[in-house]
Amino acid sequence: MQLSTFEALAMLSAVLGILILGTTLLRTNLSFYRFHTLAIVALTVWIGHITKEAHLYIVAAAVLLVKVLFIPSFLGWVMKKAEVGSDKQAFIAAPLSMHLGAIMLGVSYLLSSRIPGLEGVHQEGSHLGSTAAMSILFTGVLLMLTRRAALSQILGFLVIENGIYLFAVTQTHGMPMLVEMGLLLEVLVGVMISGLLLFNIKKSFEHIDVSQLTDLKD
Amino acid sequence: MNELGLLFTIPSLTALLSLFIKKTAITGKLCALAAWLQLALVISVLLPILTGHSTSISFAPGLIVDKLGSYFILLTTFVVACALTHADYFFQAQAVIGEPYKDSRLKLFYAVVNIFLMAMTSVFLCDSLGYLWIAIEATTLSSAPLVYFERNKHALEATWKYLIVCSVGIAFALLGTVFIFAASQRSDLGSGTLNVSELIVSAKTLSFPLLRLGFIFCLLGYGTKAGIFPLHSWLPDAHSEAPAPASAMLSGSLLNCALFGIWKASTVITAAKPEAPAFHLVAVMGALTVVAASIFIIRQHNLKRLWAYSSIENVGLMVFAIGLGSGPLFFLQALNHSLAKVSLFLISGNIVQAAGTKKLSKLHGLLENSPFWAGALALASLAVAGAPPFGSFMTEMSLLTLSLGHKYYILAALINVALAVSFLGILAHTGKVIFGAGKPDFKVFSERRAALVPMLLVASTLAIGLLVNYESR
Repeated sequence: MQLSTFEALAMLSAVLGILILGTTLLRTNLSFYRFHTLAIVALTVWIGHITKEAHLYIVAAAVLLVKVLFIPSFLGWVMKKAEVGSDKQAFIAAPLSMHLGAIMLGVSYLLSSRIPGLEGVHQEGSHLGSTAAMSILFTGVLLMLTRRAALSQILGFLVIENGIYLFAVTQTHGMPMLVEMGLLLEVLVGVMISGLLLFNIKKSFEHIDVSQLTDLKD
Repeated sequence: MNELGLLFTIPSLTALLSLFIKKTAITGKLCALAAWLQLALVISVLLPILTGHSTSISFAPGLIVDKLGSYFILLTTFVVACALTHADYFFQAQAVIGEPYKDSRLKLFYAVVNIFLMAMTSVFLCDSLGYLWIAIEATTLSSAPLVYFERNKHALEATWKYLIVCSVGIAFALLGTVFIFAASQRSDLGSGTLNVSELIVSAKTLSFPLLRLGFIFCLLGYGTKAGIFPLHSWLPDAHSEAPAPASAMLSGSLLNCALFGIWKASTVITAAKPEAPAFHLVAVMGALTVVAASIFIIRQHNLKRLWAYSSIENVGLMVFAIGLGSGPLFFLQALNHSLAKVSLFLISGNIVQAAGTKKLSKLHGLLENSPFWAGALALASLAVAGAPPFGSFMTEMSLLTLSLGHKYYILAALINVALAVSFLGILAHTGKVIFGAGKPDFKVFSERRAALVPMLLVASTLAIGLLVNYESR
């Protein structure tokens, strides 16, 4: 099977996303997130190149700045300050959850060809754009469900957001630019607020295991 | 553009000032005053719509306010003004009878409330689903510091859950928005649009499978934020841990924002296919939420959580009204719920503050301690539970009548039973709080002033019940 550049980049981003599931070392997770987002930026630039939509270049630059450069560094700084290194007691062992992620990639492939209306707008008859986006969504959900550390939860949210972003660039001719920029700003502010909360969780509870936050119930 | 800027001038200035004014007693009064001024300003800007001279005002591309939106802006500003007026009393009382809050915390509270007000106002100005999403996420981010106000472990837990659950929920609404945009690009619209007004015009040509998918994701996403069952887990935690004025705003105005998102998305799908099976999902989820909430109401042990679950029940009713496609009933239900629930949260805040506990088992004898508050609590809980002749009763009646017209017999019956159950539950719980032996260590501060805002709100929902002509709806 010959992959076009578009398909290769989409798959690369999905696979790099799945690799995040492969380790519980938070610093490695952040690095993989960085590379995974970089692949998405490259894909955005490539789509901008084939569709000649100039505003995609600006969006790609903004994503590069916020999600590749700033957010992982910020979270790395939070990790260092809060003195947390790894997410030791994941509900499912890392290798197993990575394999689950790979299985979900296959499921996404089947699903995206079944659900009507999901063929990409840039590549006639190719479902790989939506396959990658859906697989990244599942990866994010898996991260949030199987990990306990507050930082993994933030990362899971970021991966889900990347999946949605990928849907937006592969399924449409680019969302309106103001919307894209507003979205990036929200992600940025959201990550900063939750980073600050993470400090406070560490300070009050002396751990960042959010599965132990169960005091409030009926 | 000018008028748009005008709407945000007062809150943004007040937010800045709150950070710089040293005496928080002054800030409290200033913020309350500013909120009432904002209400007057909002009325003057929206006057053409309110008097019926025009059906909508367009501020900028993608920012159009229609009749429903302008009513909601009024309601939101009114709720915030009431909550801030009461907050001034609330924090003073805390300084007298309990441990006073730090000045820095109060400064942040007032600044954040003003930002929160701006975010909520912008929700109702949005015609573009993309801007709508941004505005709703902004309400989540700006209200998180309000939930974390107490700075203790419980507040931290509630804030974390609130932030994560709502952000992820809303992320799915974003996915839905992307799908709706994709649907619009496979239609007459060509390059695609997110503006609801344009989507409705060419709704029939949109790619329906994508639109349906988008609508379902929007319903689930915004539904999480509105607290529909089974995605409500964050709501009782956040509402019970926030300080009373903040709980009042979360319940009385924030929930409406998320429901407005569902309403906007539903207007597109009903324009595309009036009897789409996916749209029936809305009414079913609304009814389910009402039933589930009524069960939770019965087995509550915490006064503020009780009102949080009652909010979930009312959200269910509002979702049901959206499912019936009735904008006026959706607004009336929201209006009556907001007025009564804000009143309840404020008066309960006083009670919790004076008694030093939220536990229902430890609250009793309010009638002996403070007859005035007992009266206010009784009236407000009757109003929330939907006793005649309060506004909620009239709306619930019209809602059930309308649902029979839509042939939702089973859902109407379920809602009926659930409403009766929660009515009894609420009365039983408040009865225990009001009657019995008084508490010896109950510290009442400035009894009359404390009940001023709650009483005003209850009186207005009573007036709506008596005066609004429901037949014409």
